[in-house]
Amino acid sequence: MATLVQVEDLRKEFGNVCALAGVSFRVEAGEWIAIMGPSGSGKTTLINILGGLDTPTSGQAIVDTVDVGRLDESGLTRFRAQKIGFIFQQFHLVPYLTALENVMLAQYFHSTTDEKEAREALERVGLGDRIEHLPGKLSGGEQQRVAVARALINHPKLILADEPTGNLDEANEETVIQLFRDLHREGHTILMVTHASSIGNLADRRIEFAHGRLVQVPASLKSAT
Amino acid sequence: MFWRLLWKLLRGSSGRLVVAILALVSGGMVISALLNLEFDIERKLTQEFRMLGANLVISPGHDAAQMPGAAPSALMNESDAFAAIQNLKDPAVVAAVPFLYIVERADDTPVVVAGTKLEDLPKLEPSWRIEGQWTSSRDDQIPCVVGRNVVQQLHLALNSPLHLSYVGKTAQLTVVGIVDAGGAEDNQVFLQLPEVQSFAGLPGQIGLVQLSVRGTAKSISDYAARLATALPAYEVRPIRQVTEAEGDLLNRIRLLIVSMVLLILVLTALCVLATMAALAMERRQDVGLMKALGGSITRIVALFMAEVGVLGAAGGLVGAILGIELSRWMGQRVFGTAISVRWEIFPLTIALMVAVALAGALPLRLLGKVKPAVIFRGE
Repeated sequence: MATLVQVEDLRKEFGNVCALAGVSFRVEAGEWIAIMGPSGSGKTTLINILGGLDTPTSGQAIVDTVDVGRLDESGLTRFRAQKIGFIFQQFHLVPYLTALENVMLAQYFHSTTDEKEAREALERVGLGDRIEHLPGKLSGGEQQRVAVARALINHPKLILADEPTGNLDEANEETVIQLFRDLHREGHTILMVTHASSIGNLADRRIEFAHGRLVQVPASLKSAT
Repeated sequence: MFWRLLWKLLRGSSGRLVVAILALVSGGMVISALLNLEFDIERKLTQEFRMLGANLVISPGHDAAQMPGAAPSALMNESDAFAAIQNLKDPAVVAAVPFLYIVERADDTPVVVAGTKLEDLPKLEPSWRIEGQWTSSRDDQIPCVVGRNVVQQLHLALNSPLHLSYVGKTAQLTVVGIVDAGGAEDNQVFLQLPEVQSFAGLPGQIGLVQLSVRGTAKSISDYAARLATALPAYEVRPIRQVTEAEGDLLNRIRLLIVSMVLLILVLTALCVLATMAALAMERRQDVGLMKALGGSITRIVALFMAEVGVLGAAGGLVGAILGIELSRWMGQRVFGTAISVRWEIFPLTIALMVAVALAGALPLRLLGKVKPAVIFRGE
């Protein structure tokens, strides 16, 4: 497998607060990585830097041969549109757009819209009958499935999921996790922040954080350092 | 997708945008009304000033100006003067009326008699009020129009006879009209010009020509200059009090209107600015998300600017329609007649309102600086 993500001595400081203190690891294409650790340990900061939403203070974060830290504003925009699919704990759907339009919004910012493909993406996550619904009319699980469809619509190299089941009940959590299983089986590379060990156990491996540092990378997985 | 997003943005924020569009409609309405008034004010003022009578005089010259009551020492040739006026064929000339003044006696009372074209006097002096007729078609009488002071002085009435004598000649006239001019003309008797020329033994001679000419002070001066070139032996001069007062009033009204328009533009922009500042706060989350999805600053801001542009155009269009009606109403109240609709007001008002809306949308432009990670952290 080829390395898709390579993080070398990555640091991120917010004033006097050190969110990431020299983190290094690699992720191979097609891996499902669970990023775990207590609140404030730097998990979301790592996801934000890998997704081009934030920039590192020092070190390297290379995704699909692109050093994210070296990109300017427009380069980061292109990077996010072309290589990353985000799934957030709070879903972050645009409230005045329908499920279909929320998916098409990602297409619009990527290149051109294709309504048929967007419908198919929603049907794939089991929302074929909810296409014209506004987010306010969807359950939490349904909203997260719209977010998954939106994340996948531009065929990203890397799916970054920040506690995607954190706001869901057990039934909806199972539905969404099943979607991630399917994505992993299809060969997608997934980095998922989660607090739930049960979900962490489904991943190929777990990377655990504490105080901005990696505390556990299973030795059996040689790609991690 | 752009238009779909635009429509959803407009619908999604309709509550906030109602305030902005109300400001734009109100601003557009007052501005289009003022602009329509401004564009038409010159024509209206010219009409109003034409009510004041002549604004151009042709006379024999400075030293020989023919004053009422003076001896006809310096006169003009009637046909020369009118040939020059007709040759210029200027449609702005509302009326050109000759006058020859002599002093006759009615019984023993001296009276200023003005020989003129009675039928043209209403065009020259629209504000004069006439009781009776300006002239008569009867062949068995010599008609005259008498000023109201003369009527009182000589105890005259409509259709009463008036005996005049001049250097041994006498004539019996019939009063066909009594004029209230509100000036020195109330002390005069007006006859057809040939009658006075015959009385005075001055056939074909006149003392002066009074003209009423439409237009601005400059166009009237230009016409006077051309007439002066055509009549080098005579003096052609605008009546400065009238033309200058007209120009001065026009400039003051225009300055007032332009100041009001600028003030309203600023106030409308401030109102839009306040609304958009609130809207920008609401939209930080959406913008953060759009940027996270790969939306470029240019594309996102263009979307918001298009939304504001649509608001401006809609506000301008509705405002212009209402403003035209407002200007018509103002025209009725101020001038007694409706102001003409100037169709260029529509694109001008729409363009101004779009510009104002875009200027007021500064807070939305600042959304381009939103950092998605900061927004998602909830800061």
